[in-house]
Amino acid sequence: MADNKQSANDGGRIPDVIGESVIRLDAREKAIGATQFADDFQFGPGLLYARILRSPHPHALIKKIDVSKAKALPGVKAIVTGDETPGFIGLYLQDRHIFCRDRARYVGDPVAGVAAVDEETAEKALELIEVEYEPLPGVFDPEFGVGPDAPLLHPDLGQYEVVNFVFPKPGTNISNHFKIRRGDADLAWAQCAAIVEKKYRVPHIQHVPIEPHVAVAKWDEGDNITLWGSSQSPFAQRNLIAKALGLSQSKIQVIAPVVGGGFGSKAGVSMEALAVVIAKAVKGRPVKLRLTREEEFFTTFVRQGLVAHFKMGCDKEGRLLAMENTYYWDAGAYTEYGVNMTRAGGYSGTGPYDVPNVKVDSICVYTNHPVGGPMRGFGMPELHSGLEQCVDDLAHHIGIDPVEFRQLNCIRGGDTVATGMTMHPIGLPECIDRVAKDIGWGKKSQPSAPNKRRGKGIAMMWKAPAMPPNAGSSAQITLSEDGTVTVALGGQEIGQGTFTVMAQMAAAALGVPYDWVKVATPVDTKYSPYEWQTVASRLTWSMGNAVVAAAKDARQQILDLAAEAWDEDPDNLDIVNGNVISYKTEESMPLKNMVIYGLPNPKGDGWIGKPVLGRGSFMPTYVTGLDAETGQGPRAVVHYTTGAQAVEVEVDMDTGRVEVLRAAAAFDMGKAINPEMVKAQMEGGLVQGISTALFEALKLKNGVVTNPSFVDYRIATTADVPHELFSEIVEVPQDDGPWGARGIGEHSMVPTIPAVANAIFDAVGIRMESPPYSSEKVYLAMMDAGIVK
Amino acid sequence: MAYHRITTTINGATDVVDVPSNMTLLQMLRDKLALTGTKNGCAAGECGACTVLFNGEAVNSCMVLAVEADGADIVTVEGLAHDSQLDPLQELFVSEGAVQCGFCIPGMLISARALLDRRPNPADHDIRDALSGNLCRCTGYVRIIKAVKEAAKRGHAEPA
Amino acid sequence: MLTAHPGLPEFDYIKPKTLAEASAFLAEHSKDARIFVGGTDVFVRMRDGFWKEKYLVDVKGLEGMKSVSFDPRAGLTIGAAVNMNQIAESAEVKAHYPLLAEAAHSVASFQLRSRATIAGNICNASPAGDTIGAGMVFGGSLSVHGVGGFRREPLDGFFLGPGRTQLQAGDVVTAVHLPLPPKGAAGKYIKLGRNNIGDLAIIGVTALGWRDGETPSGYRFRIALASVAPVPLVPVAAEKILAEKPITDAVIAEAANAAMEAATPIDDVRGSARYRKLMVRNLTKQAVAEVWGRIQ
Repeated sequence: MADNKQSANDGGRIPDVIGESVIRLDAREKAIGATQFADDFQFGPGLLYARILRSPHPHALIKKIDVSKAKALPGVKAIVTGDETPGFIGLYLQDRHIFCRDRARYVGDPVAGVAAVDEETAEKALELIEVEYEPLPGVFDPEFGVGPDAPLLHPDLGQYEVVNFVFPKPGTNISNHFKIRRGDADLAWAQCAAIVEKKYRVPHIQHVPIEPHVAVAKWDEGDNITLWGSSQSPFAQRNLIAKALGLSQSKIQVIAPVVGGGFGSKAGVSMEALAVVIAKAVKGRPVKLRLTREEEFFTTFVRQGLVAHFKMGCDKEGRLLAMENTYYWDAGAYTEYGVNMTRAGGYSGTGPYDVPNVKVDSICVYTNHPVGGPMRGFGMPELHSGLEQCVDDLAHHIGIDPVEFRQLNCIRGGDTVATGMTMHPIGLPECIDRVAKDIGWGKKSQPSAPNKRRGKGIAMMWKAPAMPPNAGSSAQITLSEDGTVTVALGGQEIGQGTFTVMAQMAAAALGVPYDWVKVATPVDTKYSPYEWQTVASRLTWSMGNAVVAAAKDARQQILDLAAEAWDEDPDNLDIVNGNVISYKTEESMPLKNMVIYGLPNPKGDGWIGKPVLGRGSFMPTYVTGLDAETGQGPRAVVHYTTGAQAVEVEVDMDTGRVEVLRAAAAFDMGKAINPEMVKAQMEGGLVQGISTALFEALKLKNGVVTNPSFVDYRIATTADVPHELFSEIVEVPQDDGPWGARGIGEHSMVPTIPAVANAIFDAVGIRMESPPYSSEKVYLAMMDAGIVK
Repeated sequence: MAYHRITTTINGATDVVDVPSNMTLLQMLRDKLALTGTKNGCAAGECGACTVLFNGEAVNSCMVLAVEADGADIVTVEGLAHDSQLDPLQELFVSEGAVQCGFCIPGMLISARALLDRRPNPADHDIRDALSGNLCRCTGYVRIIKAVKEAAKRGHAEPA
Repeated sequence: MLTAHPGLPEFDYIKPKTLAEASAFLAEHSKDARIFVGGTDVFVRMRDGFWKEKYLVDVKGLEGMKSVSFDPRAGLTIGAAVNMNQIAESAEVKAHYPLLAEAAHSVASFQLRSRATIAGNICNASPAGDTIGAGMVFGGSLSVHGVGGFRREPLDGFFLGPGRTQLQAGDVVTAVHLPLPPKGAAGKYIKLGRNNIGDLAIIGVTALGWRDGETPSGYRFRIALASVAPVPLVPVAAEKILAEKPITDAVIAEAANAAMEAATPIDDVRGSARYRKLMVRNLTKQAVAEVWGRIQ
């Protein structure tokens, strides 16, 4: 087994395939419509279909459920309720029953499930289930939720099982409270020449993967469960579902084909567990549950809402002296995952700034809103949204250009961040420079029409992978007779291109051409090596390390074999382009056959060697806990990816419509293993960011989502994409990343909302409390400010 | 509920299918004929993942009844390539990096094919307009638009 | 709470061979049959559980439903099954009624426009219908086949409320007619959606203007507003101002104000009443000013 601390670039030379924009290995199959997604698997005529009865109340006691009429409907095979699910489920805090039992906590909370011969019959059965509810008052605002008048949503909070870095407060609606206390913010305000204090809100939004959630579960007579689904977290699902049902993890096999868009919505466990529980009632038959788009909007994870209070001050030279930020996360009915967003929002709660005096409170609040889950950025887009606007305001107050202000105050390698960790080398200052140059910072351009105004805005960001300290990865390398390579891994292809990047790394570390490498798919917990989850932009780094280790393990076995055959020192040998070569004798031998059959014994009869099997795994071991009261500790996270975006907008003074004309992004991902794919992440994240800045919000009215469809939840289309985009790669290597690489997937949408907001401010001089900056919101804000009449 | 026997040409081959009145063309393709390249993203005519050519015109197959396809000529993503020769759009979606998760791609390709069939030299705004009914959450559309532009440039080489 | 179903509810698909058969069937099943052509609204509402008809009657195969014809004396006739893309691309429509082509092109996406029709847009009687305004400013009418045979229904007075029209049980709209446009007329449709393309109208303004020797101003304007009242709205007072006062920027602004006063929008998920009223003012002003610039 290869060691943990590894550096892929032995000898310093970076193989050609690292940094080469090879074609994605999954693209052709996807472009001919041959790729099988979870809903495409065929299960034959024995397949049953499930539908879910959901609470119409945001908060209610369930007094009685009568399923007798529904059960009598021809074609109905089984009905299950919370009676079947006494156990709890949850990633960090086990606060959720798979089907709710005595109490429903959001509109959409699953109350009963039906398995029937088809979806129509299952739907009819739902209408025949009679549920008696006792509606209760709800919590629809997190600040109200922490107050004394709020109804208590989880009276049993004190009994829930919880990881040791999350701190629930029993008897309240607070499921986690993360604090930073560093220096003395209270004293520092007196030394500030300028102070900005402001409240911002961020609405709930939806991930909107184009592939809706789907799961098929089968439970056999021996209580072996097979679950097929669109999943970012097959191993976490195996673990959490097993624990909730009181089963051994070995009883559950999760088979997860490539995901048709994740963004966090298919991380952890959401609707999959429903299918598993329903399947238990019809043992031997597969049961398919697929969500409608409407269910997708309000019953799967949503991005949490945020109410944020910022206070920050600087001296007369513009140096930040203090920050005091309080985040109230509107985390929804269950916060099993949200508690860790709260934590991440806490330890990264200053944004990428060097501030000596810091007070951060990040508070996770139960509400009767849809369940908050991870979404691209994991709390960072939300908190940077207001924070980066306050920074702009502070720069203006003290009379320093916002770009210069950021250069002055941004965190740099060697600085101590607010949790006490020393920052590793990063390229944030260069990112700021690059986007400022690309966007033409400081130059005003002419509007396209007399009734329009233009403005430019910049924002920067940081984000660390937010995960347990010991989230691990593993990989396995096998070879075929012809020398081609198969990488088995447990991370998921969700569109980000990880399979391609892993193939590049395996090819590079082993010494074979890229197109010799295949990835063993679908990910299958029975056969694939362990991976914690496909989240946190951690795969390139963590799974990459495991794959490189596995490839090097295989490589060493091959070199040892060749060395024995040629009677040479393995250190003189190499594998280049699929051939073992000797630098000493210039002898060469193809990998084919020898990697399976070994070689004839050079000393006589018999054979030497054995089938080559490379193993590799990786787990960070150096992340430390943080003090519960001060948030201080030597190393809060594995690393930070940093970056910046700048945009130019045009505001229509007649309608309030904001158009993003051009945008620039620069991120430091350590090393771009595949530069074009890195840029594709930057483009996709930017447009998703623009979409959230201008269009997106789940409109919640007393807990009811009033826009659960594409008709009224608009996302950016081809027509909303800026006509000019710059994507800049900055590479300051990560010491423990493969060839220096860090993640980039999520980061690309973190600074977009405040960059757009700052550009709108530059154009027309208004700030709004929350995105989306819809034409209506912008126009009415301009009206109320007297800018238009 | 009534069933209807329909005769329809799908990707060049003629099929006879029995379909209930309320079955959509999308359901027929996926559930009856196992042509799962066409995707179900919303079942409400809003996301474009189920786009197919219906007598040469791009439609959302979730918004067409299967019975309406009686006598019609349908092309799905599986029918874009001929004799393992990919449509230039498919080639360029691959080479330009326009594919990420891939779920929207079948519908996107069909919409793009319909566009190039009716307008071989589309302007940038024509492309954006024609693809605005195909939602993609991964790519930001940038490389998709570029791939369609490139395919138009190569248009003369394309199979009829 | 919206509880959309995975698929369409049960119904029987009916495909009549003649108009007489269609009208008779629809009249006989007035409570449980619904006509459809493109289905872009019907299927969505059935899937959402709002409509539960037992029969869906497909009339697009009936004679004459799929043709567009222009007569230099009588104007334009659009078969009820002609789709929005055909209208948007039709050379004759673009030559004589560019406003209509523009409005048709603004509807949803290409794929939906392959199915959606102008007749359907009119019969659904949504206050947000994009092409209704064009139909109204041109003084359009419908050919309707009912149990008593053919008749004409002018669009003026056709709309009774959201989803409610003068149509009776058994009625099949077979065509939309637009008379010849006034000589030298110019038109503009401005649609305000939440994003650039494809949205339903937060509001829509259709304006048509032409020189008219009989009005004091020397011009006449027809204006129709979408999504600001229970029915597509004609702001008569605004039209009157533009007919009576010599047209200047200030008079256009006055007319736009009158249009705003006439609008009685509601707050909904797409926009507030306050914003809608202000946008009626601003976009009426824009639309009229642009048309005015082209006909002076």
